[in-house]
Amino acid sequence: MPKQIVVIDDEKIVCNMVQRILTQEGYEVETFTDSTQALNRIREKEFDLVITDLKMENIDGMDILKEVNQLYPEAKVIMLTAYATLDAAIDAIRERIFDFFPKPVKIEELKKSVKKALGS
Amino acid sequence: MTIRMRIIIAAIIQAAIICVISIFGYLSFNTILSKLRTIEIIDDLNISLLEIRKSEKNYFLYSDVNALKEVVGRGKEIDKVVQSSKKEILKGLGPKTYNVLGTNLSKYLELAQKVISTGKTPPHFGEEFRTLGHELTRLSEVLLKRERTDVNNRIQNSIFMLIISLSAVFLFQLVVWQYFFHFIIKELAIMGNLIQMASQGKLHEVAKQTISPKNELDDAIKALADMARELEKREAVLLQSEKLASLGILISGVAHELGNPLNNISLMAQGYLSLYDILGDGEKKNFMADILTQTDRISRIINNLLDFSRQKKQELIEIEPGNLIEKSITLVSNQLKITNVKLHKYIEPDLRPIYVDAPQIEQVLVNLFINAIQAMPEGGDLTVNVGQEVENGYLIIKVKDTGLGISKEDLLHIFDPFFTTKGTKGTGLGLSVSYGIIRQHHGDIAVESEEGKGTTFTLKIPIYQPKEKEEDAQADRSH
Ligand SMILES: Nc1ncnc2c1ncn2[C@@H]1O[C@H](COP(=O)(O)OP(=O)(O)OP(=O)(O)O)[C@@H](O)[C@H]1O
Ligand SMILES: [Mg+2]
Repeated sequence: MPKQIVVIDDEKIVCNMVQRILTQEGYEVETFTDSTQALNRIREKEFDLVITDLKMENIDGMDILKEVNQLYPEAKVIMLTAYATLDAAIDAIRERIFDFFPKPVKIEELKKSVKKALGS
Repeated sequence: MTIRMRIIIAAIIQAAIICVISIFGYLSFNTILSKLRTIEIIDDLNISLLEIRKSEKNYFLYSDVNALKEVVGRGKEIDKVVQSSKKEILKGLGPKTYNVLGTNLSKYLELAQKVISTGKTPPHFGEEFRTLGHELTRLSEVLLKRERTDVNNRIQNSIFMLIISLSAVFLFQLVVWQYFFHFIIKELAIMGNLIQMASQGKLHEVAKQTISPKNELDDAIKALADMARELEKREAVLLQSEKLASLGILISGVAHELGNPLNNISLMAQGYLSLYDILGDGEKKNFMADILTQTDRISRIINNLLDFSRQKKQELIEIEPGNLIEKSITLVSNQLKITNVKLHKYIEPDLRPIYVDAPQIEQVLVNLFINAIQAMPEGGDLTVNVGQEVENGYLIIKVKDTGLGISKEDLLHIFDPFFTTKGTKGTGLGLSVSYGIIRQHHGDIAVESEEGKGTTFTLKIPIYQPKEKEEDAQADRSH
């Protein structure tokens, strides 16, 4: 059974691209541009990896991170952000985060990080 | 001229008037005194003449020469008095009367002397002598009467003149004080006005009062205007530091705003390269089209940023508010057409012109219209109300929608640069740019909103005050 990944970013292109690349790598990928919908989905289904943008409308990346950590201690979280401030990074690391990517994201690095996270 | 100088001059004029009146009073009092002295002399003369006539009568009754001698003796005394008081009598009677009196008296005495020395009475002597004597007494009585009437008249005239001059002094006082009250109250009213304007925050209006001080109250008005100018400068500095503070927000906003499309382009390009071999022609085209959309997005953000930081000097022109509103409405007519939003406009007739950078104000109005339209995705009513508060000197534009409204929390931030609730569809610069423009025009922008009901933005823009009017007002003041 392929590893389950969810991608959350309010930029449609990010969702599409990451989905495309990771599907290519043999993962099963769901995407959400609306973080509220994404959270609802996470609550009903356990994913192996959550890739989320930090700054989003309504519910932001930190909220998703906390929720995932609480619900699924095994699941990994990778954070993307265009808004790479030190504070945000520290907050994220404090909350058990697997990796942190400032935008623009390098696809090759992301691929490596995903591979490492899922142990394959 | 200073108020102090004016008061001193008024006091000097008043003192001068009182001096003139006193001198005049003194002079007429003196004439009256000398007239009284003349009357005394004439009165004595009159009594002496009556005595002479008594002796004359005795002579004719008893034909006593001694009586005639008495006549001559007394006559000589009178003559002496007349000679010694010649000055007074001349002054009182004039030379003609004096001469008549003198000649008559000497003729009379001559006749008497002749009878005494010859011892005989010439023909007609009785008749002639009596006539002369009678003439003398008549003359002195007439004189006495005339002088008395004259003195009476003079006293009456003096009283009359005194009353008139006192009334004149009183009137002068009244006019002078009226003038001072009027003048001072007028200046105080101007000052009061300015203070009121300043308290309403219209520092710019107050600072515009360029006045060359001519008196103490002008000094105060100038001080007020100077103070307003100073405050305005400080406000500008504050505004500048507010801007600097928001520069931080601005920069992080720019980073985020530009970061997203840049990231998108980068991802598309990387994906394009790594998936090149397996991508179909159509997909490759889509990738490039997506990249183009993202570059468009970047240039839109940059354009808005340029608007925001625009240091371009304002080009102020006098313009009818009605025209400005109509023009701005035309600019959004397309949006109105493709949405379910109905426009209602109420423009008051006879609006005063405003003096503004027209494209900038149009930009503000368009921002407000677009925001309102975007707040009504299901359609609604967009109402534009234009009126004026002439007494406060403002044109008032209300832009009202029946849209989503703004939450209390968001209301605190809507004027911040990059604050938007529209995700990638808005840059969040519209209102902060508008705010900057309105502040530069010394106007005001305010918002009222109820969630789920709608939002009203209220613009206040100063009404155009033509230069000539200001100068007129100043000219008025300096009189
Ligand atoms: N008429 C309105 N009704 C409801 N909300 C409004 C209205 N006008 C402004 N807002 C709120 O204020 C925010 C800021 O408005 P602003 O015009 O500055 O930016 P924007 O409209 O989001 O983006 P842009 O104007 O750059 O397209 C909006 O995102 C919206 O939440
Ligand atoms: Mg807007």
